[in-house]
Amino acid sequence: MSSWVQALVPYAEFSRVGFVNILAFRLRYFTGIITYFLNVTVYYFIWSAVYRGGISIAGYNLAQMITYVSVGWMIRSFYWNTIDQEMAYEVIEGKIAMDLIKPVSVQWMWISRAIGESAFRLGLLTLPTAVVVALVFPVQGPVSRENFLLFLVAVLGSFFLMAAINFMIGTCAIPLKSILALIRAKYWLIELLSGLLIPMSFFPDRVQKVLAWLPFEHIAYTPLQIYLGKLDRAATLRALGIQWLWVIALLWLAHLWWERAARKITIHGG
Amino acid sequence: MAAAPVRLIRGPASRAFVQHQRRAPVNARIPNRMSADSLIHVQELSKHFRTFKRREGVWGSIQNLFVRDYRTVAAVDRVGFTIERGEMVGYIGPNGAGKSTTIKMLTGILVPTSGEIRINGYVPYRQRRQYVKTIGVVFGQRTQLWWDIAVIESFKLLRRIYDVSQRDFDARMEHFDAILNIRDYLHTPVRKLSLGERMRCDLAAALLHNPPLLFLDEPTIGLDVVAKDHIRQFLRAINREFRTTVLLTTHDLDDIEELCRRIMIIDHGKVLYDGHLAQLKQQLLRTKQIKFALKDRTQAGCLDAFSRDGLEVDQVDELTYRIRFDRVKVSTSGLIRKILDAVDVRDLLIEDEPIEEIIKRIYAGEAHLEVSV
Repeated sequence: MSSWVQALVPYAEFSRVGFVNILAFRLRYFTGIITYFLNVTVYYFIWSAVYRGGISIAGYNLAQMITYVSVGWMIRSFYWNTIDQEMAYEVIEGKIAMDLIKPVSVQWMWISRAIGESAFRLGLLTLPTAVVVALVFPVQGPVSRENFLLFLVAVLGSFFLMAAINFMIGTCAIPLKSILALIRAKYWLIELLSGLLIPMSFFPDRVQKVLAWLPFEHIAYTPLQIYLGKLDRAATLRALGIQWLWVIALLWLAHLWWERAARKITIHGG
Repeated sequence: MAAAPVRLIRGPASRAFVQHQRRAPVNARIPNRMSADSLIHVQELSKHFRTFKRREGVWGSIQNLFVRDYRTVAAVDRVGFTIERGEMVGYIGPNGAGKSTTIKMLTGILVPTSGEIRINGYVPYRQRRQYVKTIGVVFGQRTQLWWDIAVIESFKLLRRIYDVSQRDFDARMEHFDAILNIRDYLHTPVRKLSLGERMRCDLAAALLHNPPLLFLDEPTIGLDVVAKDHIRQFLRAINREFRTTVLLTTHDLDDIEELCRRIMIIDHGKVLYDGHLAQLKQQLLRTKQIKFALKDRTQAGCLDAFSRDGLEVDQVDELTYRIRFDRVKVSTSGLIRKILDAVDVRDLLIEDEPIEEIIKRIYAGEAHLEVSV
């Protein structure tokens, strides 16, 4: 076995344990299916009401909008993770010490665990919900097989963007201790700026231009545009390229941020 | 193991004194003990925490938002020592003395404010990932096992992380099971284990990769006598068979008496004593006590003579008496003879002052530790 494969073994094991760990909370995922289904239902009625007057808003007709919202919530159930909350808990409990005594990168340990959890969500949350939603609401299929494959690559990118952002937020718990407010603020910021609630093209032109320079719209908007075939081939590849550059940049930033914060860890008591 | 020259350091009562004395007493011994073979080498190690003083009340809380009085607290203050391979060292001190902070620096979790640590050729906080492969760590109050899944899953994870072969893994599990009896609950989630069971599993987890060095932070805290005994037996066994070096902090002095020849006493971030337990006892064990039971009550009056001689006589129960005396000033055999001459004794017992009492006196600054070799 080559040495870099060897180096990946521990992280694969963290993913496996992340997966097994979630099994202990199966019930949460059955209720998750209902939650996500309800979200889609709410937006279905909202957009149906909005579209009663017109045929197309900002380049989306009703059928596309319903698809946008449905697929948007489906992929969110996959790329979403709670690294930040778990890290905050570990810092407060002093458990972060136990991560530092393991011969692994703390950042990749957390991300690997999230991979295991997301793999679990994919099977027990995303796919079942997708089936239910597709049966109930008029959701369009992907425009082509190629688009669908590129869409999957983009969703994977969404996962890593989310993981890097959450790891950075979680790291803030080291200097700040309580990051509940930060986690809430991030939650709404991401829901809005990722394009999950409304497509980026609904924002005023100037705002769109600014947001195009930030990583957030690559979390939901970019994969959804690819799914709906809103971009031509060149634009699709360009969007994917930018998304993955953001992935690398944010993972690197998260790494630096962690290294800086880890030097200042204080664990009191016990 | 080279016989450690014992240096006794002044008690905490003279803390201010020690601060002025730049040449910290412990460091005096390093030049002649520093050998390439030392496993742990610590010099002038300090950790300062910045805390702010919270003001009281509503107005105080509002003030806290804008103005903060920062203070720097030295949790560990210029500590130095060396530990050789195969030693079992007890690191003791009252709550908040700096024990845990020291251990966390030695395990690479905390970055020291100043000073030097070299362990097994590594600087823990700089080469964390390589270094931690060579150590095992158990924090009595936390677990490194996954809370919600079966113990065996955590073990499998650790096996992969430390790259332990299946054969070694199986052999070690068998070995651990022989003393710790962990096989029965390997398939139970950690949250359902009792503290004693969890602790045994944590100990096995820390030693799965057979590290040459083991850190234990209060490994027996909250355990019952049986569990404590299992753990001590196990530590003795791995120390004997693998020459595993063990550094442990504890509040349970039985741990120390049963496991460690050498102890370090720390308080207010400074090492007060570093040497053999036996020598500490010899130095400070001045009080002895003789407990004896009389044949009948009528003779009790004869004991007044002892009180008049300045000995401390207490009545323990109806027929049992206890005399406490300074073994330097009073000859033990002479005293026994006197007692036997004065009264009819049914039973007699000579006891040393418990080690707890000595340690208590050191913490309180009463025991006067004089520099000697």
